[in-house]
Amino acid sequence: MEFRLTAEQELWKNTVREFAERELEPIARKIDEEWERIPDEIIRKMADLGIFGVTIPEEYGGMAMPGEEMQYAVITIHELARGELSMSLPVYTLLCIGWPLLLVPYGTKEAKEEILPKVASGEWFLGINTTEPGGGSDLANIVTVGRSDGDKWIVNGEKAYISGVREATERGGGHLTLFKTDPTKGYKGTTFAYFPADAPGTTYTTYRDMGRMGLSTGGFVYKNVEIPKKYILGEENKGFYVNMEGFNVARALVSAACLGGAEKCLEISREYTKQRVLFGRPLVNFEAISFEIADDYAQLELLKLMLQKGAWMIDQFYQDRSSFTKEEINRTISICKAHAPMLAVEIAKHGMMYHGASGYTKDTPLEMALRGFMSYVVGAEGGYHIQKIIIARDYIGEEAVPYRGTQKAH
Amino acid sequence: MNIVVCLKQIPDLQQIRIKDRRPLLEGAPLIFGDMDKSALEEAVRIKEKAKGTKVTALAMGGAKLKDGIKEALAIGADEAVLLMDPPFAGSDTMGTARALAKAIEKLGEHDLILCGEGSTDNYSGQVGPRLAELLDLPQITYVRELEIEGNKLKAVRNMEESFEVVETELPALVTVADEINQPRLASLRDILKAARKPVQEWTAADLGLSEDEVGAKGSAIETVSNLAPEQERKQVVFKGDLDEVTENLINALTKEGVLGR
Ligand SMILES: Cc1cc2nc3c(=O)[nH]c(=O)nc-3n(C[C@H](O)[C@H](O)[C@H](O)COP(=O)(O)OP(=O)(O)OC[C@H]3O[C@@H](n4cnc5c(N)ncnc54)[C@H](O)[C@@H]3O)c2cc1C
Repeated sequence: MEFRLTAEQELWKNTVREFAERELEPIARKIDEEWERIPDEIIRKMADLGIFGVTIPEEYGGMAMPGEEMQYAVITIHELARGELSMSLPVYTLLCIGWPLLLVPYGTKEAKEEILPKVASGEWFLGINTTEPGGGSDLANIVTVGRSDGDKWIVNGEKAYISGVREATERGGGHLTLFKTDPTKGYKGTTFAYFPADAPGTTYTTYRDMGRMGLSTGGFVYKNVEIPKKYILGEENKGFYVNMEGFNVARALVSAACLGGAEKCLEISREYTKQRVLFGRPLVNFEAISFEIADDYAQLELLKLMLQKGAWMIDQFYQDRSSFTKEEINRTISICKAHAPMLAVEIAKHGMMYHGASGYTKDTPLEMALRGFMSYVVGAEGGYHIQKIIIARDYIGEEAVPYRGTQKAH
Repeated sequence: MNIVVCLKQIPDLQQIRIKDRRPLLEGAPLIFGDMDKSALEEAVRIKEKAKGTKVTALAMGGAKLKDGIKEALAIGADEAVLLMDPPFAGSDTMGTARALAKAIEKLGEHDLILCGEGSTDNYSGQVGPRLAELLDLPQITYVRELEIEGNKLKAVRNMEESFEVVETELPALVTVADEINQPRLASLRDILKAARKPVQEWTAADLGLSEDEVGAKGSAIETVSNLAPEQERKQVVFKGDLDEVTENLINALTKEGVLGR
């Protein structure tokens, strides 16, 4: 059993941490409030460091350490989140480095050669595109449909609450998209493929979000959009499985973002409560405060360990598919995805309370972090309840599976 | 051109806790000091300009150097030599300089030795100059700008109140101030490549050094105690009319040498 990072992982962690302290901390507030976007300059610097290449093999322009892709990705996102607490940049990055892990085993050579080098160089954005206005939790009942037409599909439909709609359209790139190719079937009629954001017939709108303002969230509308079949991941009508497998990667990285951000918030609180003197002693000298910090720290360490294990399991899985079952991985990652965002919100909230009124101002980054973390409580990459369904399904069994209902959405 | 950069692993000062004025060094992660990293960065920049340059990282220290040296290799050193033998432990600045000098001689031909002007922990600033003496090289200390053309080296030294421009011929030894550059961060590609670069470990015996010349035994200096400096605040408060208070404050700060230097 080995709980230590390798020397190279440790060095990479320190490198990303220093980058985040030097380059991201000073501009996090501006990303969230002033610019409402991530500057190209920063993306270029990240690419130079190799951040966008951590999961992409060398032959496709990346610099992945074979067999340790997820471990490196988790380290990367954790450290970026410590420096950019609005969560905009960590989320932008986790999408770009998470989904290549699925494209590599399931994409066609042609698609990989076209897409991956552009993602590794930071030029293109790569995101995920499953949610529809009719519901994100219930993906078997999506209605966006692709009609087969020779070597392409003609796609019509609508997607909602998609991260990076503007970034993919303006910078280049696109989204891995779940759509129906056999509308008479449920999840067994879905296909998973890359949709370039600039495919003619595609338009987007954006929402006004609560947080992580540096990254757009919006909807796509597809009117007779032609998507070449070379962009498929896996097989036609079997896209659901690939998509779900990908969610494990994405959820692990979401957890990393929340835990990295939470770790930073907790450190901010620790330092502040040591210095703030009330009733003649440091605030942290009151056990109501120190015990809460101790509990939050304990929860944080527990989840970090769980995530480290989950990342390692995913790495083992892509080396040798008999090493772990998908259920084992689902369960481990869903534990992280259920609890990491919740804990992060709690830690940010506690920090705001220790800061008193100043915690309610924009003088600390705590409120910004809380707004960012909330995105992962309400939904993104599968909401809190959905993670519980997965854990319950795998731990309790069939009796606990609630999604076999027959009622149609209206 | 052959460049040797001398680096020392020190406890990360930002992570040291102080208890009863004593720094608690156990458990603090070890890192290379800022000035040592600047020396390495400068070497790598020279290498990038002058084709065929080889940069060797040379470090004396404990077992953690084995992992730690990978940072130097990732930043751009071509190979590394580690002096990690128990007899080296407890060396003072003279012992350290002796060991480094022997190692540099063993490495063979060298054109430039780069060191930090001091290590950020003890900051004696002595190892570089002593090393130059032992190797019989011209030394230029406190360097904030460095330029090499052919066999000529031109350097700007920071003398605090003034800058001094000096020239010498190679080979030479230079100690750098951290203002000379902003050390780069190693890319992931370079970090992964570093694992394949050659690293040698030499013992005191390999260098022909006896136990009286290095380590605690060979040390002329005994550390009696190591205390964090106490910073007494003056706690002066000026009260009264704003203009008057401002003038008093300016006078007081001028007297302290904070203003109007
Ligand atoms: C900021 C942000 C960015 C996002 N980015 C993306 C993206 O890039 N790509 C993408 O595809 N999607 C994205 N999403 C959408 C996200 O995946 C969905 O919000 C999520 O899947 C939930 O779907 P929904 O919002 O339609 O809520 P619903 O599916 O309507 O669910 C509403 C609530 O009901 C709960 N619920 C649902 N089913 C059950 C059940 N059986 N039992 C108990 N409770 C249940 C849910 O947990 C949730 O709390 C993003 C969301 C946000 C907030």
